[in-house]
Amino acid sequence: MNVASVQAGKPVVEIEIRDHLFWPSEIIVPANTKVKLMIYNRDPTSEEFESYELNREKVILGNRKAIIFIGPLLPGEYPFFGEFHPETAQGKVIVE
Amino acid sequence: MLLTSVIIVLREFLEAAMLVSILLALSTVLDISRRWVGWSLTFGMAGALVYSFGAAAISDWFDGVGQEVISAALQFLVYLLLFSFVLLLRVSGDRRLPEKLIMLIMAATVSLAITREGFEVLVYILGFVNVLPQFVTILMGAAIGASIGISIGVLIYYFVCSLSYRQSLGLGISLLALVAAGMLSQAVLLLIQADWLPSQLPVWDSSGWLSEGSVTGQLMYALVGYEATPTALQASVYFGGLLLLLIVAVLAVRSRRESL
Repeated sequence: MNVASVQAGKPVVEIEIRDHLFWPSEIIVPANTKVKLMIYNRDPTSEEFESYELNREKVILGNRKAIIFIGPLLPGEYPFFGEFHPETAQGKVIVE
Repeated sequence: MLLTSVIIVLREFLEAAMLVSILLALSTVLDISRRWVGWSLTFGMAGALVYSFGAAAISDWFDGVGQEVISAALQFLVYLLLFSFVLLLRVSGDRRLPEKLIMLIMAATVSLAITREGFEVLVYILGFVNVLPQFVTILMGAAIGASIGISIGVLIYYFVCSLSYRQSLGLGISLLALVAAGMLSQAVLLLIQADWLPSQLPVWDSSGWLSEGSVTGQLMYALVGYEATPTALQASVYFGGLLLLLIVAVLAVRSRRESL
C-alpha cells in the first residue's frame, strides 16, 4: 500500500522524481476516492507531470514540490509520464 | 530528445497559432488593421518571461496550486475577451466597427494565450541551457515544432479568408467559439486539479475511439478542446459556453449581412 498518510479524509501519496525517473513508478490508490499526490522533484531540471488518462498536467520546477489532486477513479490502470523526459519518466496509478 | 522537443513545442504553439490565425482571418474579413499582432507577440513573450521567472513563487500560491489558479484565470479571461469581441460585432450591427477597441481585445486575447503557452516552452527549454549538446538539439526541435504549428495556422488563415464574406465570417466565428469553449473547459479542469471545484467520475470515455495522446486527438484538443474523459461539470461548462457564444455569433453574422 502506497498511501502514505491520511489528511482530512484525503489519502496522500508521495512520489519523487530522481534522475528523470518516478520513485515509486507504480502507486496503488483506492477506487472512488480523491487522492492528493505530493510530487517532489529532486532533479535540478523542471519536469511536467502529464497523464491523458488522469486528465492531469502540471509543471514541477527543479528542486521543488507540487500538489496534484486526482480521482475519484474507477478501478484500472492510469499511466502518467514526465513530458520533458518521456524516455525514462514513466509511471502508472493502479486503482483498486 | 529531438522528437520530444518537437512535440512539446508544437502542442503549445498549435493552440496559440490557432487563435492568432482565426483572429487574423477575422481582421482581414472585417477590414480591421492587423497591427495588433505585433503588439500581442511582444506583450505575450514578455508575459511568458515574467511568468517563468516568477514560476517558483506562483506555484506556492494558494497552498501549492497557484499554477492551476493563475492558468485557469488566464483561460477564463481569454473566453471573456472572445465573448466580448463577438458581442461587439452583434451590437455594432451594420454600423462601422469600433476598430481600436477590437484591436485592443484581439491584442489582449493573444497576449494572454502566448503568456500561458510560452511559459511552458520557456521552462522546458531553459532547463537545458547548461547542457550545450542537448540544448542545441532542443532548440532545433523547438524550431521544427514551432514551424509546423505556424504552418497549420497559416493554412487555417488562408482557408477562412478564401471563402465568401458571410462564409468566412461564419466559419471564423464558429472556430473562435470552439477554441473559446475549449479554453473554458481547460479552466474548469485546472480548478478540479487544484481541488477548487468538485471532481467527479467522467461522464463518458471516448479514448477508445479517439485517444487524446494521438496526433488527431492533439489536433482536436487544440482546435475544439477535445477531452476523452470529461466530468459532467467540465462538459456542461464547455457546451454551455459554446452555445452562448454561438447564439451571439449567429445574431452577429445575421446583423452584418449587408455590410461591406
